[in-house]
Amino acid sequence: MLPDLRTRFATLATAVLIAGCASPTPPQEFFRLTEASALQRAAQTRMFETTNGRELLSASAATLQDLGFQIDESAPELGFLRAAKERGAREYGQEILRGVIFVIGLAGRSVTLIPVDLQQQIVASMAIRPVTRDGTRHEVRIAFYRVVWKGDGQQASQSSSDYTPPGEQRMEMIRGAEIYQQFFARLSKAVFLEAHRI
Amino acid sequence: MPLRALLVAILLLFAACAQPPPPQVDLLAPTEAQMKLRSLQTRAFEVADRNAAIRGVIATLQDLGFIIERANAPLGLVTAARFAEPNFRDVIGVTVTVRPQADGKMLVRANAIYNNQPVEEPEVYQNFFAALERALFVGREEH
Repeated sequence: MLPDLRTRFATLATAVLIAGCASPTPPQEFFRLTEASALQRAAQTRMFETTNGRELLSASAATLQDLGFQIDESAPELGFLRAAKERGAREYGQEILRGVIFVIGLAGRSVTLIPVDLQQQIVASMAIRPVTRDGTRHEVRIAFYRVVWKGDGQQASQSSSDYTPPGEQRMEMIRGAEIYQQFFARLSKAVFLEAHRI
Repeated sequence: MPLRALLVAILLLFAACAQPPPPQVDLLAPTEAQMKLRSLQTRAFEVADRNAAIRGVIATLQDLGFIIERANAPLGLVTAARFAEPNFRDVIGVTVTVRPQADGKMLVRANAIYNNQPVEEPEVYQNFFAALERALFVGREEH
C-alpha cells in the first residue's frame, strides 16, 4: 500500500513539473490564417473604385484628423498611415464599483481601493493597395487597437488572468464593427465614392 | 529500485527547467544554427516590383492580425506587432525586409520575436511565407 501511494505521488509531482515548463500558446499559431482572421478582414476592409491611391490616402489622413487622431507615421509609396489619439478612460461603472468595494472594505476594517482605467490611447494603422492589375480599384484596410493605463489602487483578485498592477497598461484590439463603419462612412463622403464591402 | 529511477527522472526534469548556459564570448561570430535560422527566415519570390512585394507583406501581416507599426519603401522595411491573444500582455513582433536580387527575384526576410525572445520554430516562417505567397499570387485577379 505504502509504495503504491508514494509512486502515485511521484507521478503527480512529475506531471506538475512538466506543466510548469509548458509555454502558454506556441508562436506558430499566430502565423496561421484562421476563420476569425477572414471575419476580421471583412470588418476592416473596404474597396473603392478609383485609380488615385494617393488621394485615397490623403483623404484617410484627413478623416482620421476629423476623428481627433494625430498622424504618427506615413509612407505614401506604400499607402501606409499610422495615427493615435489619447483620451481619458474613466468610466462611471468602474468608479461606482470602486466606491462599493471601498465601503465593503471599511466594514471589514480595511482600506481597499481597486485600480481604475485612467487614460487610453487609441491607435489606427492602415494600408491602401491596388487590387486590380490596371489599378482601377483600391483596397483600404484599417485596424484599431487601444492601450489602457490603470491608476492607483490594488487589484482585488490577483489570480485572475486580466490582472493589471496599478500604473501598468493593458492592450486590446477593437473588434466592434461601429468604429470601422464610422471611419469608412466618413472616408467615402470625403472622396465622393462608395465603399464596397469585400 | 523503481523509486530511485523515479528520483533520477524528476532530477532530469528539474534540469530541463534550469537556466540556459551563459552566452558565448564571441557573440558576433556566426554559428551553424544562425545560418540555418537565416535560411529559414528567407525566401525568394518572383515579383518584379519591389513596392508591390512590400504591399503584399503589409497585407499578409494585416491578414494575420498584426498591426503595422512602421513601413519604409526605400529600405523595403516593414515592422509589425500583435498581442498573443487571449494573453494580452505577451507581444509578438516581426520585422520583414524586401530586397531585390541580381536575378530579378525579391528576397524576403522575416524575423519574429516573442516577448523579446527570438522565434526559431520553422513552422512560424513556413506559415508566414505560405500566407505571403497567397497574398502575392492568389486572388489578385478575382477582384
